[in-house]
Amino acid sequence: MIWFASLAILAGVLISLSRQINGRLALSTSAMESSFWNHLVGLVFITVVALLIGGLFAGEPSASPWWAYLGGPIGVIFIAAGSWLIARIGAAQTALLIIAGQMISGVVLDVVMGAPGDLWARTIGVGLILAGMWAAQGRTS
Amino acid sequence: MSQPSQSKQMLYFAAAFGAGGLLSLMVLFNGTLAAYGSLFFASWIPHLTGTVAALLFLLVLRPKRADTARPPLWVYLGGVSGAVTVMLTSATLNSALALSGTIALGLAGQMVFSLFADMRGLFGLPQRTPVGRDFIALTLIIAGSLILIFYGSGS
Repeated sequence: MIWFASLAILAGVLISLSRQINGRLALSTSAMESSFWNHLVGLVFITVVALLIGGLFAGEPSASPWWAYLGGPIGVIFIAAGSWLIARIGAAQTALLIIAGQMISGVVLDVVMGAPGDLWARTIGVGLILAGMWAAQGRTS
Repeated sequence: MSQPSQSKQMLYFAAAFGAGGLLSLMVLFNGTLAAYGSLFFASWIPHLTGTVAALLFLLVLRPKRADTARPPLWVYLGGVSGAVTVMLTSATLNSALALSGTIALGLAGQMVFSLFADMRGLFGLPQRTPVGRDFIALTLIIAGSLILIFYGSGS
């Protein structure tokens, strides 16, 4: 359990690390170029690991709906946005606001798709996140 | 930490919040791939289509290069870190942590390391020291997120 918990924490650290390295690359090039390298290098890495371990095409991958393939182009914009933002508002604020957007849009998606959920928990959770965003931007100078 | 002008700050906030929305869509799309194929496939496909899409974006937009000097080679390794993340989470998803535990601990690791990186100005990024208001925002957003993760969905 401790072992898996450490892995989950490490995964979070690596998300931030990846965004920082990409942000540094964007400082020398551009946000879109850093997103390109992120995807190309990641693709090569995953291909090598998948070839070593095997099972890349296990299951019924050809049966997946066409729209599931749109995650790639969306990810390009996501990584470019993170690379652009991190040099401007810092790693912590970039991460925090992305989390806020992910959580609230997740609730919206759940509601739209009719996923079951507790109305009170959703209301309080979204309310706290909105209050936090207000606190983050409230500094007037 | 130095703050950008208010209109610029609103633009940055909107962009980051919107990026979070894109992340939700990515989780939905890539999760659908994983439901049909392997976890490798669900990460391999978005990297493949993403590489092609990024190349097209670069060809069409032709963004200006900020610096003519070559950056150090390690700055090209961000993608490896991102790919390892996918493999780690696919391991913890199937442990007792499940999805909610994986996300919650991931948020913790991400925030602690981000704050540390900001304070030290790691990897040549601007150094910034968080102030009281930043910690209030952090507490509220993480508390709201944990409530949504653990109590927000019916399952």
